[in-house]
Amino acid sequence: MIFFLLPLLAMFAESVYQPTKGWVVHRYLEFFRQRLSRTVYVRSLLMGFSVTFVALLIGYPAAMAVVSVKNDSLRSLLMTLLVFPLMTNPVARTFSWHAVLGREGLINNLLLTLKFTDSPVRLLYTRGAVFIGLLQLFLPLMVISLTSALENLPKDVPLAARSLGASAFNLFTRIYLPLTSEGIVTGCTLVFTGCITAYVTPAVLGGSRVLMLSTLLYQKASITLDWTMATVIAVIMFLSTVAVNTLSRAISTIGVKK
Amino acid sequence: MRKFFVLLIALMVVFVLGVQKLNVSTWGFNLDLLDKNITKPFLEKYGIQIERELGNNSVRLSKLITQKDNPVIDVVHFADYFAMLAVKNGLLQPIDVSKLSNYKDIYDFAKDPIGGNYAIGYTVYSMGIVYRTDKIKRAITSWKDFWSKDVAGRISLPDITTTQGPVMMMHFNKIFAGNAYDPELKAAFQKVAELKKNVVTFYKTSSELINLFKMGEVWMAPVTRFSWGQFLETGLPLAWVVPEEGMLGFTNVLCIVKGAKNLDGAYKYIDFLISYEVQLAEAMDLVDSPVNVKVKVPPEIAEKLTYGEEHIKSLVFYDIKFIVENYDKWISKWNELIAQ
Repeated sequence: MIFFLLPLLAMFAESVYQPTKGWVVHRYLEFFRQRLSRTVYVRSLLMGFSVTFVALLIGYPAAMAVVSVKNDSLRSLLMTLLVFPLMTNPVARTFSWHAVLGREGLINNLLLTLKFTDSPVRLLYTRGAVFIGLLQLFLPLMVISLTSALENLPKDVPLAARSLGASAFNLFTRIYLPLTSEGIVTGCTLVFTGCITAYVTPAVLGGSRVLMLSTLLYQKASITLDWTMATVIAVIMFLSTVAVNTLSRAISTIGVKK
Repeated sequence: MRKFFVLLIALMVVFVLGVQKLNVSTWGFNLDLLDKNITKPFLEKYGIQIERELGNNSVRLSKLITQKDNPVIDVVHFADYFAMLAVKNGLLQPIDVSKLSNYKDIYDFAKDPIGGNYAIGYTVYSMGIVYRTDKIKRAITSWKDFWSKDVAGRISLPDITTTQGPVMMMHFNKIFAGNAYDPELKAAFQKVAELKKNVVTFYKTSSELINLFKMGEVWMAPVTRFSWGQFLETGLPLAWVVPEEGMLGFTNVLCIVKGAKNLDGAYKYIDFLISYEVQLAEAMDLVDSPVNVKVKVPPEIAEKLTYGEEHIKSLVFYDIKFIVENYDKWISKWNELIAQ
């Protein structure tokens, strides 16, 4: 606990007061006063939310499918395949997206052959590219969290609900959702935090045009050596993820109490 | 037991004679070749063992800042911009060039590249234009060709946060407004804003750019000479252009840390690195282009280096101090322009 908290406190202290510079709280104001940092902040949060949302949307049915597989060896094979993207080198993985999203890449070739478009569409170095990259990167975390939550769900509960005449919709909203809320929150936390802090994916798939909090932080820390602003951004990133995660936890407990 | 004594005596001899150590902060590239061309001969010649601390420019500069009161490093290798930042942070001491016997043999631009004798350039590289000769049928001759319609959407430029970015912007300002030293770089920013839609991406590393060339995404870009060899290895039909407005010149430099413990060793190391022997060995292994004018290399080596009278003569150098003074402002302006 100490090893976890001390660096955090040190970071926070550094962003507020520095022995050589005195109070530096005004740097927080400076961050939010700049139009660019605001844009970057909102962009990062929206990216985090949208990736998390879509990951949940795709991840839930995927996790249900994995759990429904009765054959043990088949199921462990599926799990291995799921974890596979997490085990490949992030730089290599991101660059392989270039081969898919490039103007002479897979998708554009398909679009051109099917005559959906006359000239290649720009897919790389857009927000869409960053979105897809992050989704592929973090979807496994969502599926894994949901799979373990669904596995812990007593098998007879859905059966009982069914036999008492619950519709599929009711079964999902009143049995599955509340009983797996813990897993949902965990999955969302992992995916959201991952999206906010990821560096390689936005740097390589978004480039300079799609500046995010993490790439802005890197710029401040490594290029202009403005460590105070870098710490301020780090604290803002940290507090934002904590706030979002606390919120999602609160929402899920309300759901359970009902 | 005897073995133990032999070992003990050997240790004592080493302790008494003392193999001197020199702490050098540098990049982690080509370490095998550096050992062959520098570490081993340096130890043999002066009896000084080089200990390297590795990392990129900013990480190593950060370390110097934290060690300011009790420096560990004696000599540091930097790109010129980071050397200037180190000067600004009071981390370096001026070099007494009268102690360097090989100083007279290096190019003038390497003699005092950042001013105040705080650095010695030990290698040089150019940035010219590289383009696909199969896709662009006419000859590219000028930096202004990036604004031509026939290359629109197929070009890439270095990001302002790269070492080359701000220098390129100063060059653009020179080309379009006649003056490189405009603190606002008004003309350059205006021209890059015009170009923004036509740029595939503003690249940050040469490996990223090589990849974009390989995929056919980019046909033309400013390229650093030290990565030219890797571009040639792609097998693509490429040409290197020396633009009529000149190529950009960059030096990597050696500096002595303020309060260096082994000052004598530091001078020996710097003198050794700009010596004919080391400069030739490093050039032949394609590690670094020479600044020592006496070094002669065969054509097949020269074409991969920043080398030769014509090539060197076309280099344009700008004052790094001006960049350091205005860089924050330029980066914000760039972010506003590109990332909005």
